[in-house]
Amino acid sequence: MTKGFAAAGVLMSVVLLPAPARAHHSFGAEYDANKPITLTGVITKVEWTNPHSHFYLDVTDSNGKVVNWKFEGYNPAVLYRVGWKKDVTLKPGDKITVFGWQARDGGPWAHSREITLADGRKLFFGPPSGTGDGGNSPAVEVK
Amino acid sequence: MRAPAVALTLVVSFASLAAQSSGPNAKSPAPRASDGKPDLTGVWQGGSTQRGSWEDANTGVGVGGSGRNPTAPAALSSNDRPANREGAPYQPWAAQKVLEAFNRRGIDDPTARCLPAGIPRTIMLGLFPQQIVQTPTQIVMLYEYMNVYRVIPLTSTRPDDMIPSYMGTSIGRWDGDTLVVDTIGFNDKTWLAGTGTFHTDGLHTVERYTRVDKDQINYEVTLDDPAVFTKPWTLTSTLMLREGTRLQEMVCAENNIDLDRYEKLLEGGVKFTR
Repeated sequence: MTKGFAAAGVLMSVVLLPAPARAHHSFGAEYDANKPITLTGVITKVEWTNPHSHFYLDVTDSNGKVVNWKFEGYNPAVLYRVGWKKDVTLKPGDKITVFGWQARDGGPWAHSREITLADGRKLFFGPPSGTGDGGNSPAVEVK
Repeated sequence: MRAPAVALTLVVSFASLAAQSSGPNAKSPAPRASDGKPDLTGVWQGGSTQRGSWEDANTGVGVGGSGRNPTAPAALSSNDRPANREGAPYQPWAAQKVLEAFNRRGIDDPTARCLPAGIPRTIMLGLFPQQIVQTPTQIVMLYEYMNVYRVIPLTSTRPDDMIPSYMGTSIGRWDGDTLVVDTIGFNDKTWLAGTGTFHTDGLHTVERYTRVDKDQINYEVTLDDPAVFTKPWTLTSTLMLREGTRLQEMVCAENNIDLDRYEKLLEGGVKFTR
């Protein structure tokens, strides 16, 4: 019985959880939810653009080699509502840590999620993994 | 015997009124326009059930999933199927086409080409606010997502020279306290509510907007398209008032580099497995 109640509780959570739906294109076509990464580096460029913003990060590996990574995230309107301010919150030269998911092809580009700024503040720069790629079940019943 | 029952009913009624009139979740009645109709004017967030300002409502569960745990799984996006929703009633051949789009992970999503998201997808997505401006003779709906709008007459008939369009041609009427928006004249270039949920230009939507209290509109939409469905498809959602939120400009074509990437990905033979 206990197990049954627990399972029912999980189901209720799924059904009742408020879930503001997002839109635009597929996460899963480009990025791999099984490749989470956390990188620290120095911002070289920020593109505050629609439909998605990007920033570029110089990351130095253990051998001293510098690789410039590209990260994708929300568009300017959403960044603004989440708490970002253009040319103020994120600028070239800033040292940040970013958590996100790497591209499927394994290259130095990724989907950003949470950024930790130099002063310790944490802000979201992009949605969670899996956004816009259809979820776990199609809209129709599969037979 | 009757008097105590009445008294008890009154006590219960007053208690529930008191409970509703205080606290963070207090419900205020829906405001009325000068013509006595419920006034839907305001900035709204679709697909949410949280009351309060945009910031309050989206700090916890909200913009981008849990809002606290960056590794939390995604909240549903406008092309994911909610767990409690039955399958869309597509005819078998059409269901196969929907499934193919799902298996391609939505790479064919019209919005990835910066095209308007259509109805009801535009209304039900939550990351971008929408604004309703109400007058006695027409309702204007403004959407931040793709910067599209609808002008919905309440007193005139539909024109007979409609151009097929992404957001269709709507007329509205009041059914008691519910605004009913009836729309035809669509093109066939949008997805309805889920990856690959295509339709034809014969789509007919009937939306019902009921402002149940100051903060909440109950939204119901019935989609009918006999060319692809076996029966009409009804979906429900809620729109929550976001006082203090302003609609922003969203010019999607500014820097849409995703299509080039998609082409390269497809050339490389990427398998879109989950």
